[in-house]
Amino acid sequence: MDIINTDVLIIGSGAAGLSASVYAARSGQKVLVIDKGAVGKSGSTVGAVQIASLGEWSLNGDSEETYFKDIEESGRGLSDPVLAKILAGEITERINELIAWGLKLDVDEKKEVAVFSTAGHSISRSVSARKGKTGLGILQTFLKKARSLKDNLNTWSDVITLELLTSSERVTGALVFDLTETKLSIIHAKTVILATGGMGQLYPVTSNPVQATGDGFSLGLGAGAALKDMEQVQFYPVSLKAPQSVAGFCISFYHYSKLYNKDGHRFMADYEPETLENTTRDKLSLAMASEVGQGRGTENGAVFMDVTHTTDRVKSDFPHEYEMCVDRGVDLRSNRAEVGPAAHFIMGGIQIDGNGASSVPGLYVTGETAGGLHGGNRLGNNALSECLVFGARAGQAAASESAERENRLFPSADVSEWLQKLTGDSPVRGKKGVSPYDIKRKIQSVMDEGAGVVRSDKGLHQARKKLEEIDVLLKEAKAPSLKPYSREVIDFIESRHMVRTAKAIVEAAMHRTESRGAHYNKDHPGLETKPYHTVVTYQDERFICLRQPLKGDR
Amino acid sequence: MSVIQVKIERDHYETSFFEVAYSTDMTVLNIIEEIYRHHDPAIAYRFSCRTGLCATCMMMINGKPGLSCMAMGKPGEDGYLTLAPLPKGHTIRDLVKEV
Repeated sequence: MDIINTDVLIIGSGAAGLSASVYAARSGQKVLVIDKGAVGKSGSTVGAVQIASLGEWSLNGDSEETYFKDIEESGRGLSDPVLAKILAGEITERINELIAWGLKLDVDEKKEVAVFSTAGHSISRSVSARKGKTGLGILQTFLKKARSLKDNLNTWSDVITLELLTSSERVTGALVFDLTETKLSIIHAKTVILATGGMGQLYPVTSNPVQATGDGFSLGLGAGAALKDMEQVQFYPVSLKAPQSVAGFCISFYHYSKLYNKDGHRFMADYEPETLENTTRDKLSLAMASEVGQGRGTENGAVFMDVTHTTDRVKSDFPHEYEMCVDRGVDLRSNRAEVGPAAHFIMGGIQIDGNGASSVPGLYVTGETAGGLHGGNRLGNNALSECLVFGARAGQAAASESAERENRLFPSADVSEWLQKLTGDSPVRGKKGVSPYDIKRKIQSVMDEGAGVVRSDKGLHQARKKLEEIDVLLKEAKAPSLKPYSREVIDFIESRHMVRTAKAIVEAAMHRTESRGAHYNKDHPGLETKPYHTVVTYQDERFICLRQPLKGDR
Repeated sequence: MSVIQVKIERDHYETSFFEVAYSTDMTVLNIIEEIYRHHDPAIAYRFSCRTGLCATCMMMINGKPGLSCMAMGKPGEDGYLTLAPLPKGHTIRDLVKEV
């Protein structure tokens, strides 16, 4: 088994991981960025359309204070004010740095930076690059910067992380599997940054890329980290339901649209009479799921989105999305589209401080894998902002901690189970058992039924039970083909991370006996008077979930 | 549901043929997933965003480079949907190029 040494190991190469890598490498530490897919092309960042910002382009009336208040308001009491303040305070500097490194913001017809409105923000503050392919533009800017730091910064594509390694309760590296060479390696690092993105693939319909299987939450749990508010899964309200090949594709212009149920009624008038469709994602998802749940949806379990009154605006503000719809036979000029909620983002995640440090020494977390900033509902276009600001902070903090540590610790890793499964010596290796792909599908259907937009006590209990059953299936699962880059070996490893993350979500959801933010339990539809966080940890193969009072309530 | 004949040029000396359950709204990527699920669990292919942005799923489709998540699955002139890795660079296996 190969042993690789670095100072800072970064797992994941979306905006969060690459931002961290650039700031860590600038400090002179040796940085290694790994990704289970192609570096810089495998996370949710790729699909991000706009970024919320403050800058020279901000409209009159916008300020750090206003931005902070919007995040707090949207977070339903769960947003960490320390993190929200940092975000509002540092976003300008981070975007200006990206501009200095070559990012060009899109401009309007007056050649001024175009500023867009986004539902939930009290003032227009979203900007874009590369005509709405903002995520791609940011990734390319970071990759270019990373290349200029190549003496300190290495990247490694197509290597998937199996477990974090710990020694004396400190994270000291990772056990990884190289998909190309089909072999295990150990990476020793003084600090590790998890930037593995989200978990949309735990659900059957998701806007997320195929890699979003919740690996980071599972890795953090395995290393002893505390996960906060994991029940807070955001469903993107308006995503295409049909055709199947684009199911989950997000419609960013839903605040321009009119939503109708199958009876032709514009139902948002019943739920949010003042704002109608221009409301926050949690409210919209719940309204749409309720309409479908009460039998007022289409055969595909969808509602109708109509933009025929404003197609020109849609076409000019969101050209990629418009083209995509037309390409797949959804002609928005004359037809309504069938839409519904898709798993989109998890506000919960590994608990961090303002520098991205987790509760486990040596382990930092940033981007979607970290929890706390967004509380119970993430505002649109705040995901990239989070990645820029907290990626930079985690990178800097991890690098300075690494610089202070002389020797790496060499953990005694128990890799026997993985070795057995992945090197072909396993006694259970054979053709029997459920395929890794089918196990993934089972997890998705359990989460959809028990832990989707509308939850219930009974549904959550059933989900917990079914996930235990899937655990058994996993133990007896068919061993994967070990040919280079076989899809099956990827699914085999990811399905293990998916189950652990799914269990954490279900545990957290069972412990929130109220409906707050993105978590709606029909058996507890109201709010409890004193807000609290749910905190999940994993010890001796058992999940422990506690309620934690908010800061200031203790 | 009908079927589509698929030919995958896996490397210099091996071509695989598959008869895949098919409907006209399937993209090339949907067809490859069908092959993975029902015909060959070891098939190697790369994709991520499914929406034409990341470009990691690019391959030769009926002799022309294209994004498998965006191209609709249609047979070429010889009656086969023919898939192959991009010609440039090192092929890890099947349809996957080194990045």
